[in-house]
Amino acid sequence: MLKRFVLTFLLLTPTISLSDGLADKSKIFVENLGKEVVEKVSDVNISDNQRLQNFKKLYLSTFDNYYISRFVLGRYWRTIDKNIQKQFVKSFNKYIVATYAPKFKGWEGNFKATDSLFENNYYNVKMDIENKDGPTLKMMWKMYLNKNKEFKILDVNIDGVSMLVTQRAEFLSVIKNNPNGVKGLIAEMEKKSAGS
Amino acid sequence: MFKFFKNIQIKRFVLFVALILPLSGFSADTENDPFESTNRNIFKFNNVLDDNFFKPVAKGWRKIPDIPRKPLSNLASTAQAPISLANALLQLNRESIGNILGKFLINMTFGLGGMFDIAGTQEFGSMPTVTEDFGQTLATWGVPDGPYVMLPIFGPSSVRDSVGLGIDTVFNPLSFAYRMNNIGLEARLSGPTVRGVTTREKYLDYVDEMKASSLDWYATMRSLYRQKRKKEISGELEESSSLLGLPIKSTEKTEQITDETEVSTEVSIEPEVSDEKPQKVAEIKVPSSNIKKMVKSSAKNDVGLMPSSNYPGARDTSSYAPRIYNGLMPSSTYPGFSGSRVNLIE
Repeated sequence: MLKRFVLTFLLLTPTISLSDGLADKSKIFVENLGKEVVEKVSDVNISDNQRLQNFKKLYLSTFDNYYISRFVLGRYWRTIDKNIQKQFVKSFNKYIVATYAPKFKGWEGNFKATDSLFENNYYNVKMDIENKDGPTLKMMWKMYLNKNKEFKILDVNIDGVSMLVTQRAEFLSVIKNNPNGVKGLIAEMEKKSAGS
Repeated sequence: MFKFFKNIQIKRFVLFVALILPLSGFSADTENDPFESTNRNIFKFNNVLDDNFFKPVAKGWRKIPDIPRKPLSNLASTAQAPISLANALLQLNRESIGNILGKFLINMTFGLGGMFDIAGTQEFGSMPTVTEDFGQTLATWGVPDGPYVMLPIFGPSSVRDSVGLGIDTVFNPLSFAYRMNNIGLEARLSGPTVRGVTTREKYLDYVDEMKASSLDWYATMRSLYRQKRKKEISGELEESSSLLGLPIKSTEKTEQITDETEVSTEVSIEPEVSDEKPQKVAEIKVPSSNIKKMVKSSAKNDVGLMPSSNYPGARDTSSYAPRIYNGLMPSSTYPGFSGSRVNLIE
């Protein structure tokens, strides 16, 4: 009985030390990110180009955009050469910025992290986004801590829908239906980014 | 007479199962959309219908003052309780039974016959609106969802959920009550119509935004439907991490990843692709000020930040080349990674 207790304790201790304190920091991290978005992206007084640049800085510094790029390309990632991979990452980042940055223009509200659960080496942070003129949105951020002890976001889940999984489904369909495959997808993304 | 009727019903059911089972074989395919071209055509039709009818109606609905709009929505929602309760009972889902029954009774009494969602207020513990349908019941009985189908007017569904929808419509306890009291079709359709309009109004802005930014709106909707349904049925969220399945097997691979990361973390508006590394990564990694400062100072004293390959039950990687975790790529080879169950929302 005692042995079992000691074993359980030893097994649990690393988990406790890992999660201790960092869960709270993960909450602060996403709340601060929210504040920065409001300050630097939502501001109606900045130019659209400045908005894009600010959003891009925030996205690239807080999201693991390489992982995300690789994930959304699924099995096709391995079928393309390194140059196309680089081209894809570049176009994808541009597409994300062009798609999401304008949506924050003039947005007002609060970001409130309600809980953070450390599970299987990832932090799942629950957050309520209180829109000034609309319903509260329930979100969950999936992130990890990299070797530089910086949080990197992997996925955003809104009301049970993973943005990463949705993006991947969409891209795979585009590749499947486009005779130029991944290159066709890159062209589509570039076109969309230019049009936004 | 009853026996004859029963025999016919059983034969129909057997025939139906025989038809459905082979279709469920498609579930191995990730898209599981063998009728894609037909579905896409129906989707086009639905979109035209939506643009010209449902969307304007939803916009008009939004303009109606809270009263009578909210009481009507609440009434339509309350009217769904009997079929939801029947399905919760069939699923033996105690939590749902309690929730549906509790909310129904509170709203029918204190909420003036279901016009006000009193159970949803903080005083009554903010009871959520739980709905259960026969598609969910079939899922809990182990029936696979089968191929994806796009229904005219009703939108995204699966073979299983389409059958569920039909059964819910026919066997809804309210339908029996309507028939027994000779209530006309218009009255019977009022509940589903109001629910449909309310749902469309709820997603009015989101749908437009997503549609505008999507490269393949049909594929996006298919994915959204699948994920939402998965959550409704099992409470599980789609595990993005479990789908990656690309472990880092060698140092060579790790180098490539560092290289790519450098490219992808470039901050300038037109990132340059470069094969040279390190210093730049260190410079650029600095996120916008506050975040970096906060994380660095607070994480200073924490140890053991990344998973160990000695994780109990870990996959045998002895045949792999030395595996180096560079902090840039989360590996999907950890056992708990793919099996994790994340259900934090709601």
